[in-house]
Amino acid sequence: MMNRRNFVRNSVIVSGGVLCAPSLVGQVTLAKPKTTKLTILHTNDTHSNIDPFPENHSKYPGKGGVARRFELIQKVRKEEDSVLLLDAGDIFQGTPYFNKFGGVLEMKLMSKLGYDVATMGNHDFDGGLEGFVKARQFADFPFVCSNYDFKNTPIDGHTQSSTIIQKGEVKVGVFGVGVEMKGLVPDVKYGESVYNNPIDIANDRAAELKRQGCDLVICLSHLGYEYKSDKVSDKVLAQKTKNIHLIIGGHTHTFLEKPTEEKNLIGETVLINQVGWAGINVGRIDFEFDQKIFAKRDVIIVE
Amino acid sequence: MTLLICGAGLLACSSVNTLTFENVQIPITKEYEQFNSIDSLISPYRSELNKEMLEIIAVAPKGFDKGKPNGALNNWSTDVIYNSQLDKMDNSIPSFCLLNWGGLRNSISKGDVTLGDIFKLMPFDNEIVIVELPMPSLGKIEEYLISRNGEPIAGAFLKQGKISFLNVPKESHSSFFVVTSDYLMNGGDNMNFFEDRISTTYAGELLRDVMIFAAEKQGTLIWNNEQRIIIE
Repeated sequence: MMNRRNFVRNSVIVSGGVLCAPSLVGQVTLAKPKTTKLTILHTNDTHSNIDPFPENHSKYPGKGGVARRFELIQKVRKEEDSVLLLDAGDIFQGTPYFNKFGGVLEMKLMSKLGYDVATMGNHDFDGGLEGFVKARQFADFPFVCSNYDFKNTPIDGHTQSSTIIQKGEVKVGVFGVGVEMKGLVPDVKYGESVYNNPIDIANDRAAELKRQGCDLVICLSHLGYEYKSDKVSDKVLAQKTKNIHLIIGGHTHTFLEKPTEEKNLIGETVLINQVGWAGINVGRIDFEFDQKIFAKRDVIIVE
Repeated sequence: MTLLICGAGLLACSSVNTLTFENVQIPITKEYEQFNSIDSLISPYRSELNKEMLEIIAVAPKGFDKGKPNGALNNWSTDVIYNSQLDKMDNSIPSFCLLNWGGLRNSISKGDVTLGDIFKLMPFDNEIVIVELPMPSLGKIEEYLISRNGEPIAGAFLKQGKISFLNVPKESHSSFFVVTSDYLMNGGDNMNFFEDRISTTYAGELLRDVMIFAAEKQGTLIWNNEQRIIIE
């Protein structure tokens, strides 16, 4: 069951201190309103769960499974023109598939499912930096890691700080932020990787993607949904940044019933979504862009 | 509010965008199994994995269960980890081994023990570490063990609220060495006393790999239900 929400922004182009009132433009619109739809499918913390949980599993009997996820994704792709498939990290670790094959099968399957972009979680360091590179060769999609500096490591060049994807008429900018490795990942596993402040980086990346003309800016985050302490989480990230429309989260294995709506630094709404772990659920968000184009001379001024 | 309509390019305002969304969290269930078109990509890996995981590596003379405050599985797991590190330090041996009850994820049933059984017991790729702590921190561990109604230990006993080491005299040292996992050292299961650490040595071995090696070496797993933690 889909819930339709009028949300995020009436993002209005403002110039010369003049404000356009979106509620009034309809009356003077010259061109026809144009609607574009973008479907986002996403996972997080799949943790090498290739096969479904067994039928006698105490918590998630018969749930999940990559082959079934593939079928779902195929079904959505048949129904929708523009589909974007994203993952928020912790692809590795959790079943003997990782222990035995080092993440190669996970990467092959994600490529087969047609993932567009992913970010790294703390467990994606579990095979060491070289282990990640080895498995990553089997992935045909980019990894965005914006706040990790891998300059002096074997991963250098195997991730990027952001990416832009044209989906139909929508230009989507995607970047990624990861959790601090220290205390979570053994030092030897992350080597000389440097963790940078995710808030500062997110603001930089989002502004840059906006500058490059992205209609939608998505942050793939492995920071975690929320903490009792002041540790940076997706909620904190949403509140302390601007220019981000959607945060796809992970790390805390949080099963959200629906996306959380948080206000950003300038009072705009940001969506945060997370779908638990192990590929038990896939998140689906359908964005609709309504563009009401009108001629340049027909500017409306509201005082 | 005044509404003005301006003429001819005095101001540029080309478009108004609105964004709406719909959402659903889709459960992945049997419903999607009908075609299973990529299972052929997975099945060679699954077969190879199953072949290996079903390999019998030892025999259990009795069932090994974890328990609080003590259990045969607690003792077996900590013993094999502790014993693996006895010759790893220069001029000394570790004082004792501390793991967590919660981290032992599956019992070992009587009879054949497969490689998969050890993977189920210890699915995590946690690494063995030797952590040096100042002697005053021992009190924190004693309090912790009592508050938790015991956790798996080897190389030591807890009686009358005090830990005694079996192999290392306490009196002559200002610090002691605990064999544990990197997960617990980093505060897993609220083992915050590890924050006091003076030094850390990574053994470069996973707990699971050491358990597998020990099981193969023992052949018949050593069953020991010694009461190492006595809480009055």
